[in-house]
Amino acid sequence: MNKQWLSVVIAAFFEVGWVIGLKHAGSVLEWIGTAIAIFVSFYLLIKAGENLPVGTVYAVFVGLGTAGTVCADSLLFGEPWKLAKILCIFVLLAGVVGLKLVTGESKDQEVNG
Amino acid sequence: MAWVALVVAGLCEMMGVYMISKYNDAKSTKNLVLLIVAFTLSFAGLAYAMETLPMGTAYAIWTGIGAAGGALLGMLFFNESKDWRRIVCIGLVFRAAIFLKLLS
Repeated sequence: MNKQWLSVVIAAFFEVGWVIGLKHAGSVLEWIGTAIAIFVSFYLLIKAGENLPVGTVYAVFVGLGTAGTVCADSLLFGEPWKLAKILCIFVLLAGVVGLKLVTGESKDQEVNG
Repeated sequence: MAWVALVVAGLCEMMGVYMISKYNDAKSTKNLVLLIVAFTLSFAGLAYAMETLPMGTAYAIWTGIGAAGGALLGMLFFNESKDWRRIVCIGLVFRAAIFLKLLS
């Protein structure tokens, strides 16, 4: 996995962090952590958009963030797993892997190819 | 009102995604401010809409408008690939994200 894709994945991790923060943060410290997570995730998102098409980056960011939030809800907050949820996560990952395969290394290649 | 706020929030998110491309083209303060304003309005609108609408529904519609619209703007204005395989994959990711939110 190259650097740009890695930063989208890390951005999605931070997204899960701030979504949990927005829902559960209670103390000042937790709110500061949430704000830092928002900043880091968007910083990485913008950085990744320098070399990858932004439409792809944003789709992957939102998709992985959603899947991560659903997993966190089940693992940390006791939401029940459902078969349909697991299926959705697999479809989502298939879409992300597909995007990685059809997306060139840089924008120039994208346009030419 | 909640529905209006939700649609406006989705449009602001589209605008925000557009501004990420714009900012990467020209790193000006103006572009960065517009990017931040667009996403802030978008989150505020979503939060407002979720006070009355069910969270899963609100989030699914918001993501659908913003992310699909953002990808479309990228194809129209920033020369992003219109390869059908790319469109299919983006469609898969959105649909899965929308269903996940509707399920939870």
